[in-house]
Amino acid sequence: MKKKKIGIPYALYFYEYFPLWKEFLTRLGAEIIISKPTNKEILDLGIRSSLSEVCLPVKVFYGHVISLVNQVDYILIPRMVCVEKGTFFCPKIIGLPDMVKTSLGSLCPILNPLVDIRKSYGNWKNSLFQVGQILTENSLAISRAFSASWEKFQRNYVAHLLDPQTLRPGLLNCNNRAKEQLAEALINIAVVGHKYLINDSYINLNLIEKLKNMKVNVLTPEMVHPNIIRKQLKRLFKPIFWSLSQQVVGAAYYYFENRVEGIIHLTSFECGEDSMVGELIHHQSYQYPEVAYTEFVFDEHTGEAGLNTRIEAFLDMIRRKRRNEISFAPSW
Amino acid sequence: MKLALPRLGNIEVINETIITDMGHELIEVPPNTKKTLDLGVRYAPEYCCLPLKIVLGNFIEALELGAEGLIMAGGWGPCRFGYYAQVQRDILLDLGYNFKMIIMEIPRGNWKTLWDNINILRNGRSWSYMINQYRFAWQKILLMEKLENKVLQVRPREKKRGASSLVIKESVIKIKKAKDLETLKRIEEDTLNRFKEITNFHKKNIIRIALVGEFYVSLEPFSNHYLEEKLGYLGVEVVRKNSIEAWIGPIMRLKIFKDSFKEEKEIEQAAYNYLAHSVGGEGQTTVGNVVLSHREGLDGAIQVIPFTCMPEIVAETILKKVSEDLDFPTLTLTYDEQTGEEGLNTRIEAFIDLLKKRKKKEVMVL
Repeated sequence: MKKKKIGIPYALYFYEYFPLWKEFLTRLGAEIIISKPTNKEILDLGIRSSLSEVCLPVKVFYGHVISLVNQVDYILIPRMVCVEKGTFFCPKIIGLPDMVKTSLGSLCPILNPLVDIRKSYGNWKNSLFQVGQILTENSLAISRAFSASWEKFQRNYVAHLLDPQTLRPGLLNCNNRAKEQLAEALINIAVVGHKYLINDSYINLNLIEKLKNMKVNVLTPEMVHPNIIRKQLKRLFKPIFWSLSQQVVGAAYYYFENRVEGIIHLTSFECGEDSMVGELIHHQSYQYPEVAYTEFVFDEHTGEAGLNTRIEAFLDMIRRKRRNEISFAPSW
Repeated sequence: MKLALPRLGNIEVINETIITDMGHELIEVPPNTKKTLDLGVRYAPEYCCLPLKIVLGNFIEALELGAEGLIMAGGWGPCRFGYYAQVQRDILLDLGYNFKMIIMEIPRGNWKTLWDNINILRNGRSWSYMINQYRFAWQKILLMEKLENKVLQVRPREKKRGASSLVIKESVIKIKKAKDLETLKRIEEDTLNRFKEITNFHKKNIIRIALVGEFYVSLEPFSNHYLEEKLGYLGVEVVRKNSIEAWIGPIMRLKIFKDSFKEEKEIEQAAYNYLAHSVGGEGQTTVGNVVLSHREGLDGAIQVIPFTCMPEIVAETILKKVSEDLDFPTLTLTYDEQTGEEGLNTRIEAFIDLLKKRKKKEVMVL
């Protein structure tokens, strides 16, 4: 029998759940086709086919879906509602399958398993089971594929975490030699924001690469252990009820507390969660004046010069501050 | 304690029942004006939706007048509304105000906060007194909404332009002062009679439009640039699909607010083919209501949304398809802090002209 081709758009929650889907689907003998990394063509397709008011990541998602349409038998767009008690995904993600369906018509069948653990605890399994039934009739095989891929997914999740010791080099009690080294050392900058912004180098205009070329040690929310994030979130007056934003806020609070030298908050134009969450992070930054904080908003315009100027200014400010700190630090 | 309640349409009618009569001092929040909006816009995050900004403006004005406690509703997502109170509290604390935010919401785990909040509102009065007061406030809201819905029917048919608005204004003041159910009944009868007097029953073929969309923007006339009045004066009967009744009822799920969520299921069913899952806010309700309006034989629907509203953008995307499938005209109006009205007027007029032409055609065919 011919292998069924399942398309997975390389956008939005792809960055979170792709390992799980891939493992599960390949175990059941499906062929997975991932759309290409975002490029001009994909972005244009997305912008053309969606409403102008939709936020940028969703527009990009549209583009990825359209670019897949002719190559695959099915497109996987799960309806992610709730994966942790008391939290939700953003309304646009919950409505995503319907939005894509209505906007793109019946171009290609969409697989939209519902993931909502409020209904039953094993909802992850049930929803992937539905997808599995399209591929094979052997329910035992589906169950087995699920448990194997779920285990692997959980293990992968805590893969490369950060050593908190490296966050801020000590300034006091250092001799001249150490000072010189310090002046040369990489700047620790935390880039916080949704994974689909940080990891998509086309949307964020290659920000991470640029920072690295400017001698910056880039820290991201993924490097913070989930337990630390949970602990940080306890400091909030009211818990955040968006799964994806929890990590952003928790990580930002953590980096503030550990006094990294700068924090950049990435948001996309029209992002509803970020308008609230950004405010929380912004308010937190008042309490840590020694941490430089800035916010970059991305939209479908691709002028890079403005971004470059802002990055350079931000880094210059941090470098100057560091030089001052070094020259005024006591030495013996 | 000096308490203030943000504005939402005519919700001020319950102020005296739940604040003054409970022994608190009432800080009357000034009506929404450009100043309110400017204050809100200045301090609120840029991409927040309009309701947050206006309510923040309300709060600042109330605090300037000496309010010590601000009453606000909360929620648990996925709509941003659930986080309003938290963000507003942060902003106001930053501005240096000293106050207590009384957030009424079903708590997650932390029942003590709710208990404390209720006790602040109770102010040492007996429980039965408090429950009675709140029940009475609920009756006031029901009556107010009933009359407001009636105005929407009367306005396109009134003999003298603006008469119905005057009547409702007077009635709202009377409801505000009312102390018992009998007075409410009298006000209701009285107002309905006055409506009859000013109505011209000979007008036929009036266009009926459903007003759907985001809750706050559709109910607060200031935020939607007095859309209902504008439509009424253009000779259109507006059928309001959102109401405080339908909003609070399902949230509370309490016996005292009985029979307020009977239509919820129906709306969900109607939306199911287009939007199979609730997306928070009024997203699914909007889609469902448009389908239902088509079934009820209305002529069109206007969706009002604040700029960047998450659930309504989902609904807007889907409405395009619904409108196409059902051959049912819909218009989406997006509101933000811009106050230019001419563009809005032109769009409404064009839409109404279109509906009138359609209706004429239908009548001729029949």
